[in-house]
Amino acid sequence: MSDTVTTRETAATVRDDSQSTSSNVIYALIEGKYWAYLLLIPSLILVTAVVVYPVISGIWLSFHEYRLNRPALGRPWIGLEHYRDMLSDKTIRIALKNTLIWVTVGSISQFILGMITALALHRSLKGFRIAAVLVLIPWLLPSVVSANMWRLMLDSRLGVINELLSRIGVLERGHAWFTNPSTALYEVLVVELWKNFAFFTLFFLAGLYAIPSEYYEASSVDGSGTFQRFRDITIPMLMPVIVGATILRVIGLFNSPDILLVLTGGGPGNATQTIALYGFQTAYLRFDFGYAAALSVLALFCLMAFTVVYVRASGVTKE
Amino acid sequence: MSVTAEQTGPFSHVPAIEPAKSWMPFGSLRRIRRFYDVVAAIVVVLVVLFAMGPIVWTVLTSFKTEGEIVSRSFTWLPKSLNIENYQTLWERSGYPRLLRNSAIVTGLTVLMSITIGTVAAYSISRYRFRGRSGLMIFYLVIRMFPFTLLLIPLFIMLRNLGLFDSHFGLALTYTTFLLPLCVWMLKGFFDGIPPDLEEASRVDGSTRLGALVRIVLPLARQGIAATTVFIAIGAWNEYVWALLLTTANGARTWPVGLQLMVGEFQMPWGVLSASGIISIIPIIIGFAIVQRALVSGLMAGGVKG
Repeated sequence: MSDTVTTRETAATVRDDSQSTSSNVIYALIEGKYWAYLLLIPSLILVTAVVVYPVISGIWLSFHEYRLNRPALGRPWIGLEHYRDMLSDKTIRIALKNTLIWVTVGSISQFILGMITALALHRSLKGFRIAAVLVLIPWLLPSVVSANMWRLMLDSRLGVINELLSRIGVLERGHAWFTNPSTALYEVLVVELWKNFAFFTLFFLAGLYAIPSEYYEASSVDGSGTFQRFRDITIPMLMPVIVGATILRVIGLFNSPDILLVLTGGGPGNATQTIALYGFQTAYLRFDFGYAAALSVLALFCLMAFTVVYVRASGVTKE
Repeated sequence: MSVTAEQTGPFSHVPAIEPAKSWMPFGSLRRIRRFYDVVAAIVVVLVVLFAMGPIVWTVLTSFKTEGEIVSRSFTWLPKSLNIENYQTLWERSGYPRLLRNSAIVTGLTVLMSITIGTVAAYSISRYRFRGRSGLMIFYLVIRMFPFTLLLIPLFIMLRNLGLFDSHFGLALTYTTFLLPLCVWMLKGFFDGIPPDLEEASRVDGSTRLGALVRIVLPLARQGIAATTVFIAIGAWNEYVWALLLTTANGARTWPVGLQLMVGEFQMPWGVLSASGIISIIPIIIGFAIVQRALVSGLMAGGVKG
C-alpha cells in the first residue's frame, strides 16, 4: 500500500496557480492534498469523543474507587486494589468458566449449523433464495423479542415445546426451563444458536459462491469424492471467510449479555454468569463503577489474547 | 458440462467429443447429484422451520385471547383474528411513546453515522494517504472493545454533559459501535464504483465536492440505503445500553419498556407477543427492501477486510 497522493491531484494543483491568494487556502483544502484528511476529520472527532476518550478513562477509572450510590466517597485513587480483589472474587472464577463454555460451545454450534445450512443453500434449488432470506431473519431480530419468544414457547405451563415433548413422553409435564444450574447455560445456548447461526450462513454462502466452479469440475475429473472435494477445495478456499466470521462471532458472543440478561439474569445462582454480564450488573445493579471498569479491562485482555492467538494459529494474516 | 453438437465457427468441422464412459459415469453422477439435492432440500426445510417457528408462534399468540392462551386444553390456532392484544397495547401501555423515542434515537443515529461515515468511507476508498491502513484496522478493532469498558465512562460523560436520558445522548453512544460498521460497509460500496466517472466530471470543471455529491452518491444510493437500514436496525434493537442510559420519564426505548412490561403485567403473553410483533415489523420491511444490497455490503464490510 503506497502512501503517495494519487495522480488526480496534479490537475488541481496546476489550476491552483490561476487563483488569488485569499481563496488559495480554501482551494488548497478542497482541491489540494489535504482533501482526503478533511473528509476524515468529522469521523475522527466523533470516534475520539465516544471511543478513544471513554476507553482511556475507563482504564483510568479501574484504578479508582467509584460508587454511584455513595457520592460522598468521591473518586479516590486506589491503585491495583480492584485487580487484587478479583483474585479472591469467586464469582469471577465461575464467570470465566461460563464465558469459556458460552463462547466455545456457542461459536462451534453456530458454526456447524451455519455451515450445513450454507452448503445446502448453495445447491440453489428452486425456492432457496427466499429460504435464505427467511433463515436470516432471527439474526436481525432484537434480542429482547427473540428471548421472549423462546420464553413463551418454553413456559412450564403454557409453552408449546413442553406440550409437544410431554405428549411424546420425552418430558414430564410442567418442566421448568432455565432453572437447573447444571443445564441452564446450555439451554440459553440453544436460543443463542437459533438467533445467530445465520451469521455464519450469510458469510459462508457468499464465500461458497465466490469459489470458481472450474475447481470442482477439475477435481471431479480426477475422480475425487464429495468429502475429498470439501476437504481439498471448499475448506481451503473458504479459510479467510472462516477466520474472519469466527473472530467476529466470538467477539459477539463474548460481548453480548442481552440474551442471558433477559432469560436468566445470570441465575440460577451464578450458573449462567459470564464476564460481560457480570461487568454490566456490577455497574447496573450494584453501582460499583470502579470495579465494573476493572472487570471490563479484564474482558479486554481476554478478547485481545484470543484474537492474537487465533489469527496466529489459523495462519491467515489480514491485509 | 456436455459437449453439444451445435458447434459453429472455425472448429465446426471437428466432431463433438463423446465423454468416455470409464472416467465420467454420467448416469451415476446424476444420481449422486439428485441424492444431494434431496438432502439439501430436507436440510433447508428443517432449518427454515427452526428459524421461523418461534416467529410464527408469536404471531399466532398475539391473536389469541387471554383465555385461549391459559386454557388447560392446549390451543394451537386462535379461533378468530382477535386484535384485542394490539388494542390494549396501543391504548393502555404507553408503548406508542416508547416507539416514538426509539424512532427519534434511531433517526439521530442514522443521520450522524451516515453523513459522517459517508465522507470518511469515501476518503478511505479513493485516496492513498499516510496512515490509511492503520485507520482501517483501527475501525475494525473498535468492535473488539468490551461494551462495558465504553458504556461506564460514557454514562459518566453523558451525565456531566447533561445529555443523560436524552435522545441525542443515547444516539451519540450508539455511534460508537455503528459508525465503524458504517464506514466499512460504505467503503465496500464506494470501492465498487469505478473512479473514471468522477475524473470525467472533474475534467469538465466540477469541484471534488461536486463530483462526490453529483456523481458518486447517486451511484452508491443502493449501498447507502442498505447501510442506512442496517444501522437503523442496530439502533432500533439495542437494549443493554438503553437500559443503563435512559429512564421512564425520558428517552426510554421500546426494548427496555418491553422487558420491564414482562414483570409489570405478570406475563400477559398476548400483549407481549403483540408488542414484539409491532416492533419487528419495521425491521422486516426495511430488510425486505434492501435485502440484496445489504447482504453484499455485509460481505464487503466484514470479510474482505
